[in-house]
Amino acid sequence: MDKFRMIFQFLQSNQESFMNGICGIMALASAQIYSAFDFNCPCLPGYNVAYSMGILLTPPLVLFLLGLVMNNNISMLAEEWKRPAGRRAKDPAVLRYMFCSMAQRALIAPVVWVAVTLLDGKCFLCAFCTAVPVATLGNGSLVPGLPAAELARLLARVPCPEIYDGNWLLAREVAVRYLRCISQALGWSFVLLTTLLAFVVRSVRPCFTQAAFLKSKYWSHYIDIERKLFDETCTEHAKAFAKVCIQQFFEAMNHDLELGHTHGVLATAAATPVEADRTEEEREKLRGITDQGTMNKLLTSWHKCKPPLRLGQEAPLMGNGWAGIEPRPPRKEVATYFSKV
Amino acid sequence: MKQRSTQAAAVMDRFRMLFQNLQSSSESVMNGICLLLAAVTVKMYSSFDFNCPCLARYNALYGLGLLLTPSLALFLCGLLVNRQSVVMVEEWRRPAGHRKKDLGIIRYMCSSVLQRALAAPMVWILLALLDGKCFVCAFSNSVDPEKFLDFANMTPSQVQLFLAKVPCKEDEMVKDSPARKAVSRYLRCLSQAIGWSITLLLIVVAFLARCLRPCFDQTVFLQRRYWSNYVDLEQKLFDETCCEHARDFAHRCVLHFFASMQSELRALGLHRGGIPESQELPEPPEDLDGGSGKAHLRAISSREQVDHLLSTWYSSKPPLDLAASPKLWRPGLNHRASIAAPGTKLCHQVDV
Repeated sequence: MDKFRMIFQFLQSNQESFMNGICGIMALASAQIYSAFDFNCPCLPGYNVAYSMGILLTPPLVLFLLGLVMNNNISMLAEEWKRPAGRRAKDPAVLRYMFCSMAQRALIAPVVWVAVTLLDGKCFLCAFCTAVPVATLGNGSLVPGLPAAELARLLARVPCPEIYDGNWLLAREVAVRYLRCISQALGWSFVLLTTLLAFVVRSVRPCFTQAAFLKSKYWSHYIDIERKLFDETCTEHAKAFAKVCIQQFFEAMNHDLELGHTHGVLATAAATPVEADRTEEEREKLRGITDQGTMNKLLTSWHKCKPPLRLGQEAPLMGNGWAGIEPRPPRKEVATYFSKV
Repeated sequence: MKQRSTQAAAVMDRFRMLFQNLQSSSESVMNGICLLLAAVTVKMYSSFDFNCPCLARYNALYGLGLLLTPSLALFLCGLLVNRQSVVMVEEWRRPAGHRKKDLGIIRYMCSSVLQRALAAPMVWILLALLDGKCFVCAFSNSVDPEKFLDFANMTPSQVQLFLAKVPCKEDEMVKDSPARKAVSRYLRCLSQAIGWSITLLLIVVAFLARCLRPCFDQTVFLQRRYWSNYVDLEQKLFDETCCEHARDFAHRCVLHFFASMQSELRALGLHRGGIPESQELPEPPEDLDGGSGKAHLRAISSREQVDHLLSTWYSSKPPLDLAASPKLWRPGLNHRASIAAPGTKLCHQVDV
């Protein structure tokens, strides 16, 4: 159980490693969907190509977009792109890095689909059965006597064994074998090409701009983690807010009841030290933000004016209307730090 | 034996921690439920025995019915299973009280609930279309016979009869007929094309929605997300507090009852010396284990008071301002006398 939790936490800790897991699952799912999908060539002259190309190209597009949609970083990328610069400059290199990393991962499942489709051969067979060279594979002498439409209709039925009626012209097995062979050759070439490309990109990249790459990687992880931590902090705050709100509600009722009757024994006990501590703990979690207006202002300024990437500076937050917070001890720390220098 | 029980306790502990981890973020719980429902849909579809009637008028009814009815049922299931739908309706219908209502939050919650509830019906519809049986059954009679040369020498009524039987492979009239296979193939192909197109459309819409959302009103979105999460958490915490209170109330009630029984018996002189003086039950603790911090719960000690508290919570929620003085928003002080409840009569007033 512990190991499971550790693995789970590790995967979740970094959006990139989590997405690696998701990509692996999607690649497997893609292969599984292909095998569960019942390919159904229409065997009609006009429709074969449309159907096959549709099956070859639509699911990869769907899988690619799904890979992007499932990646939380896509909305993070869009946010980072559209936010006002505020006090934190935007770095286009970071945005490019995030987009490339997302796109690379999302491309895995479509590549698997295309490879599996080509290696299986049914799609290719359905699409190109009317383009088979009958002259070389079958009874070439009978071809000139046939009108083109009739030839097309006959050949279109090659993928459907139960309705094929052109054995006198061209043996079905021959055509199927021929097309499958080409399809598999294409499939393997495709696999080799994509693997080669991936290998080249991975090995050659460190030769160019490695320093810039490391920076972009760091800041892109940083943005991801910062956003997650902000969401978690907001949730903690909401919980503490709700607890204190409900407690105040009960206390107010309690107060009313005491005013109403003489038997005020039950809750007039002064708050015990433990109780006072617990309330204090909850209130501390609120970090001084105790009403709706202030919270809304906080959320607005988080988007409009993100804090600069420089810690240890008590820069004026007054501009954002936070006059209510008392000066915090770190200010003294900054002073001593500078004095050392 | 002891080792086994400690091991069992450790396992239960871990389960509880994992469960709490999952529950801590209600969004991930809802996503998990959504995925579970989608998996159940897939299983349901694969185990359902499709059975086209192969009769002219009933085919379309059966086919379309099977496409749409389970989807509707799954959609309603998705709404039922999601706690947030109830929270949303409550937030919508409550009187404004001391806390004004923000329709934006309600809209946000509504869209989040609807999105999750639509996942399972979409899975059903897409599976049905990609499989093709429903479509073939529903539209076999609407096929244009001129597309297929095999119908040239049949009367129109014969053609209609034939087409109605296309979905049934084993039927005598259409068994092994190439015309049937051609029509069936054509319809399945169409069904799959429609299925994939719908999938593509949905994915593109989801992708655009995710990408373009930050371009519009990001600050309002952040605020609405925060406050809708808050409303959800507050409801959960209030329920937990009420549970705690009920437990506390019940405990005191039972102890009071035993104590009052004992004092009655003593008053009637009925204990025949069997109960020594020293063995008295503890008095209902007025300050129950002093450090538990539950003084605010203990004041509410009668049925009328609890009812009043609950109806006040609904009719006028406290404002979202913790620093404000309670005097400004405290619920009315008019009818205190009617709910004043002397402590000793605790149990007799409560219907258990």
